[in-house]
Amino acid sequence: MVAPLPETLTPELVFHEYAPRIYNIARRMLGNDTDAEDVTQDVLLQVVRRLDTFRGDSQIATWLHRVTVNAALAHREKRANRQKHETGDVDDVLETAAPESEVKRWNVSPDEPVLAAEQHAIIEKAIKELPEPFRDVYLLADVEGLPNADIGNMLGLSVAAVKSRLHRARMRMRDLLAPHFEERDAS
Amino acid sequence: MTCEELMAVLADYVGGELVVEHHATVKIHIDGCAKCGSYVATYTHTIRISRALPKCGQLSAAFEAKLRAALAEHLGEATS
Repeated sequence: MVAPLPETLTPELVFHEYAPRIYNIARRMLGNDTDAEDVTQDVLLQVVRRLDTFRGDSQIATWLHRVTVNAALAHREKRANRQKHETGDVDDVLETAAPESEVKRWNVSPDEPVLAAEQHAIIEKAIKELPEPFRDVYLLADVEGLPNADIGNMLGLSVAAVKSRLHRARMRMRDLLAPHFEERDAS
Repeated sequence: MTCEELMAVLADYVGGELVVEHHATVKIHIDGCAKCGSYVATYTHTIRISRALPKCGQLSAAFEAKLRAALAEHLGEATS
């Protein structure tokens, strides 16, 4: 979460503290800068309109996640209506089978990982490749660190559904990242 | 426990949500199965490196200017 804010929230403070955060969630959910900018502007103005109703940093942070997710989903829905694409039963899209062949270890620090810019880009690209319903859950759980119950409330899913999608998303992410992080064979 | 059964409880195992006996069963399987041991390690790495991503995005100068203008316009309307 962001650092604690002073008691009095001003538009400038909200802009400074929250605009980059809103933008990042929206960009990761929507997968492109233009849509993320539209959503960021909408959400920021909503926050500023309601500034005097917030009583603390945790309250605004929770609300902000919810409003950003709602705005991004609405934006995506509009886009989908324009593109008219069918998704089918989303929970069958990603499999959960056990690995059939050898699984190589990764060359990642056992402590707090420090990622190079190139690694950031690899992870962001993998997130973008997740099917949208899985991407949403993955982002909110494993990037933003929100509890499953909160994610369920935001996305209109049961906790069991959140957990199922999260597990499938993690497995796909693991597969997408593996070629970039696997230890090289000594030769 | 089979490898397939491990996959079915992996998220709960990683999240520390299994009861002690079940956790121990999973641990025994992982310790005895190199493939699953590596899989669990890399699944966990996936979560850890995702959590290390920055939470704030860099706004472009053009977008920041546009956003500030929208905010100023909104505040102007709100006070007039």
